[in-house]
Amino acid sequence: MKQERPKKFGMVIDLDKCTGCGACLVACMSENNVPFKPDESDKLTSITWMRVYQLNNGKPYPETDICYLPRPCQHCEGDHGHSPCVSVCPATATDYGMETGIVSQIYTRCFGCRYCMAACPYHARYFNWWDPVWPDGMEKYLNPNVSVRMRGVVEKCSFCYHRYQTAKDKAIYQFAEGERDSTDLEEDEYQTACTQACPAGAIIFGDLNNPSHRVHQIAQPDEKHGGRPKNPNAFRLLERLGTNPKVYYLSSRDWVRRAGDNYLEGEGKLKRH
Amino acid sequence: MKVGRRSFLSFIIGGAAGTALSPLPWKLTDDLSIWTQMWPWTPVPKDGAVSYTGSTCTLCPAGCGINVRMVDGRAVKIEGMEGHPINDGGICILGLSGLQLLYGPTRVKGPLKRVGNRGSGRWVSISWEEAIEEVAGKLTEIREQGRPEALAVFSGKRRGTVPALVSRFTTAFGSPNFVTAASTQDSYELALHRMQGVQAAAGLDLANTDFLLSFGSGILDGWGSPVRMFRTHSALKDGGGKLVQIEPRLSNTAAKADQWIAIQPGTEAALAFGLAHVIILEKRYRTQFVSQYGEGFEAFRQMVMTDYTPDKVAKITGIDPKTIVTLAREFSRSSTPLAVCGKGGGDVPGSMNEFFAVHALNALVGGINRPGGIWAVPESGDFGWPDPEMDETAARGMQQDRLDGAGAPPYVAMAALPNRFFEAVAGGKGYPLEALFVVESNPCFTEPDPETVKAAFSKIPFVVSFSSFMDETAQNADLILPNHVYLERYEDVPNPAGFNRPFVGLVQPVVDPQFNTRNVGDVMIALAQGVGDPVASAFAWDGYEACLEEAYPDQWDSLTSEGYWMAEDFDPAPWPEAFETASGKFEFVPEGLQRGYVPVEIAGEKGGFPLVLTPYDSMRISSGYVGNPPFMTKTIPAEVLKGKELLVELNPQTADQLGFSEGSRAVLATPVGTANVRVHLYDGIMPGLVAMARGLGHTAYDKYLADKGTNVNRLIGPTADPVSGLNAAWGIRAKLTRA
Amino acid sequence: MSTVDEHEKDMPSEDSGGKGPPSPDPEQKNKATAYVIFFFFVGLIASLIVGWIIFPQLLYSQKEQPINFNHALHNELVGDCASCHYFREDGTFSGVPDLWSCVDCHMDVQGEDPEEEKFVTEYVWQDREVPWLVYSKQPDCVFFSHAAHVLSGGMDCVTCHGHIGESEHSKVYEENRITGYSRDIWGRNISGFKRNSWDRMKMDDCADCHEEARDSATKDEPRAPVGRVIDNIIRVAFPGTYADNKGGSVQTQRGACFKCHK
Repeated sequence: MKQERPKKFGMVIDLDKCTGCGACLVACMSENNVPFKPDESDKLTSITWMRVYQLNNGKPYPETDICYLPRPCQHCEGDHGHSPCVSVCPATATDYGMETGIVSQIYTRCFGCRYCMAACPYHARYFNWWDPVWPDGMEKYLNPNVSVRMRGVVEKCSFCYHRYQTAKDKAIYQFAEGERDSTDLEEDEYQTACTQACPAGAIIFGDLNNPSHRVHQIAQPDEKHGGRPKNPNAFRLLERLGTNPKVYYLSSRDWVRRAGDNYLEGEGKLKRH
Repeated sequence: MKVGRRSFLSFIIGGAAGTALSPLPWKLTDDLSIWTQMWPWTPVPKDGAVSYTGSTCTLCPAGCGINVRMVDGRAVKIEGMEGHPINDGGICILGLSGLQLLYGPTRVKGPLKRVGNRGSGRWVSISWEEAIEEVAGKLTEIREQGRPEALAVFSGKRRGTVPALVSRFTTAFGSPNFVTAASTQDSYELALHRMQGVQAAAGLDLANTDFLLSFGSGILDGWGSPVRMFRTHSALKDGGGKLVQIEPRLSNTAAKADQWIAIQPGTEAALAFGLAHVIILEKRYRTQFVSQYGEGFEAFRQMVMTDYTPDKVAKITGIDPKTIVTLAREFSRSSTPLAVCGKGGGDVPGSMNEFFAVHALNALVGGINRPGGIWAVPESGDFGWPDPEMDETAARGMQQDRLDGAGAPPYVAMAALPNRFFEAVAGGKGYPLEALFVVESNPCFTEPDPETVKAAFSKIPFVVSFSSFMDETAQNADLILPNHVYLERYEDVPNPAGFNRPFVGLVQPVVDPQFNTRNVGDVMIALAQGVGDPVASAFAWDGYEACLEEAYPDQWDSLTSEGYWMAEDFDPAPWPEAFETASGKFEFVPEGLQRGYVPVEIAGEKGGFPLVLTPYDSMRISSGYVGNPPFMTKTIPAEVLKGKELLVELNPQTADQLGFSEGSRAVLATPVGTANVRVHLYDGIMPGLVAMARGLGHTAYDKYLADKGTNVNRLIGPTADPVSGLNAAWGIRAKLTRA
Repeated sequence: MSTVDEHEKDMPSEDSGGKGPPSPDPEQKNKATAYVIFFFFVGLIASLIVGWIIFPQLLYSQKEQPINFNHALHNELVGDCASCHYFREDGTFSGVPDLWSCVDCHMDVQGEDPEEEKFVTEYVWQDREVPWLVYSKQPDCVFFSHAAHVLSGGMDCVTCHGHIGESEHSKVYEENRITGYSRDIWGRNISGFKRNSWDRMKMDDCADCHEEARDSATKDEPRAPVGRVIDNIIRVAFPGTYADNKGGSVQTQRGACFKCHK
């Protein structure tokens, strides 16, 4: 079997189109068997793999402006696969896959020390403080392709990796039947649940290493500079931490781009490192 | 034999050594770790063959196509249907949560009969036969008393075979009181009727619009057809089009718009006139349309030129005159501009004055029945059924006045007036009702001033709810005959909101009914048989499915294979044929616009109520018939709902003046009601305004939704529009005091 | 036999100063030592017996399949494994067949076997799925792709499932009382030794084939667990001994976790 070139699955989220509707939140929860509690207003314990933040330009009425920023797990690459969370996990429950660029989370290995939650600068990891409870009958809608977590383990966005697994299965079958030329996946065969659901089309998902994929064309990641985007409207969250995340954001508004990192008073344009 | 301490110890050591050399500890550790990783109460969903079933979502009037992923016959995920003309693969947050409605704990699992007082929550399960017998019995009694008009129906939907069957039932029975819930759709249709003379649905050719001017419409907050609006907005962004949002609050739509113009609430019509003034002054209107097809343009022009100069409009609306002029120029300079109105999510019908003004604006720029503009789309509604034969009793009943006053002066053109209906019944006006059916709606929560609705209920001895959920109305009913949830039933969705082609979506069962529920269509047919002739002979179908198929003979193939039928080649009537008014032209000044801008008065005195409360709609809170599923409630930010308390938005300046800080507890009082709330400081709202989310404050449903927040309808009463008679209240005066 | 007196004799006398206890009688000493050794061996042997023989018996419960299925007979009649165990259009594997696959032939009783009659009357006619006990059932965290192994890898069924296709009756399902999984996963041999590749299928057994970094000579042969443990120690203590697995995970230098987990 020929060796496939390594992929780097990433996302481009257009903040000019994102309306803050929350469809990506629910698509993710529905696809990934995320539990829910009667009271979810304590956002520190509320598990939402994809979370939509509301940014604010800090100006008074009527110059106020807000913007919504959906934040999945950023699947940081760090330096050659040393994501902050992967570097600290004592149980090897989380790992970086060089072939796909995806940070995996294996619930059966995790013993819930939450070191990874402390390490993640994006607050993308969530802990199951309680056992999930599905009211009578609701467990029928659980997706068999995703493990259901018990209490005491950390979970996070997986870029719907199970969809990659099922798409690969299909590709292998079709290749064996002679219906296709190779088992490589097309761009539209593996898409995350949030990308698929977004009614505004604000989320784009694909292989950053593949020049024919839209994410590559839009973000234009610069390999020589830690993957930072060449597109002037694109930015990554907390770029200067060096986490090398895979989620690129687009915004035509200056204040939104500035909100993506911490700047000192009067600090100029984003310093490239 | 000497068995001492050492022997015992050596026995233990030997045992330990042997145990270590045996697989026991290692296997046991491995097994225990596996056991602890998989507690039996953590469900492991069963795998199986995967298939997809298509259907149409009915949770809002948009009619989006959905594809439901099934595993082993269980519905596991709802996704948008790719290639569907309305949503093309996209789906909104409510549509995605549909499975929680299907499998949720709020479902009514079978026919229920009340024991104990209304609202006490004590029910006994009965069989369908018993239930239908009881209802038919009560109905027969009413007929025998010679007062068939004492049956009323409140239906959440107006179009489709199911509302048509229910309406047919009441007609054949002899009651004119078929009342439907109202929304901005109704206002749009009245505008089309008065200004173009047509009976049609309003369609928007959004694919070709390049400038969308929204007078407070929540383009990205749930107005019209949410997913379609989102796609439209994204297309505008990609194609260099423009969205301008006019509203007093920085909603999500305003934030995303290319320009947000803050306006004094309720003065939108004045702005429309101001824009018309500039457009007419600078001759930027479509002269061909105006001269050949514009009736009353001279009167319109005079009114607009004298009373609505940019300076005068600036005083009314609070908008800078330069902004008005620039906006008018940009709007009229675009090749395909479109103005829309109907505040927020479009739940409240609104002011006809405003709708007429905005429609006139569209006419000025030549948008009527043109690419990128607003089209009159023929309604589907005639299924070819023969008129029901009425007997004497029924005929007499049908001649009675409707309790809501629709169809009679001054509301001759209106089909139904829900707010007036409840007011009339509660106030004891007209004749008393004996029975009320509530279909696909929850008026005890969604209607303005639910106290009036409850009072109306208390005057009706027999209330039957067809709700699938134990909502507020079902709680106050005597009998519940639960409908299938949309994923379990057949139905049609004609004329989806704002779609600019004749279109019918097919709802088809995705799973077998989970409980002992029945399609309302089937229940109506059974009830008709139970009541007997003349109603029975008007319902000569084998069942609802047969009735549905017969209703769409030409479209059935497309409906079953694609999931929808669309008139692909539809073009709206060109101007020479488009107008069926007395003049044969577009009426620029219909009745209701002759006095120019007429503001909708809101209740309350400024002295006692210094602030103004306006509701706002959010995609994350369902404010209609269906209550928020748990997934959606989970997404509500902590700045809106904290625990069980609702936070209202207040400008920091106003908050400062009143002595409130972030999170302060307060009592919000209006002339209609009071509520305990907390304050959230938000710069994006005009000073002096209080904004409250619509859709929370349920008292029924389950622990995931009940008793969270406040129902804004409790605080804002209806204000009847002088032209349509429908609710036009956009807010109410209010005051905030420390708790 | 020992008396209190003898004990007293062994106790150090109060006035002996720093001299220590009087040495016991050499014969007594030997006897005591002998007892110690004896009990040591008693303990050792008892625990070995418990660990190796009694423990496995207690750990597993014996269950019978609901219907005693004859694979050999069906192979003869149907001829082709893929008629019942097939790939679906989307690449997923059908696994243990559901009632639908059997109904074509078994709408009525075909033969004389009482098991078949039981199947037809209690399951087919009642439209009830047979609750088969699956020998190769893996935990929920495992993602196994039959397509990748059978279609891409060209593996045959026997490598992992053994010669079940030739069986004439369903073998006993030995269920681990603690975990609920079949004995076939850990392996019939309680120590975990296996002779054939299908004798056990825990994660490390999958890893046998998936370890691209390992010496190719040993890749196809089943490995004893001890060998794997030694490998792991070398890998951690002397990084770089085995070639870096470029395609795989960063932490473990093996295949990425999500390859086989979900």
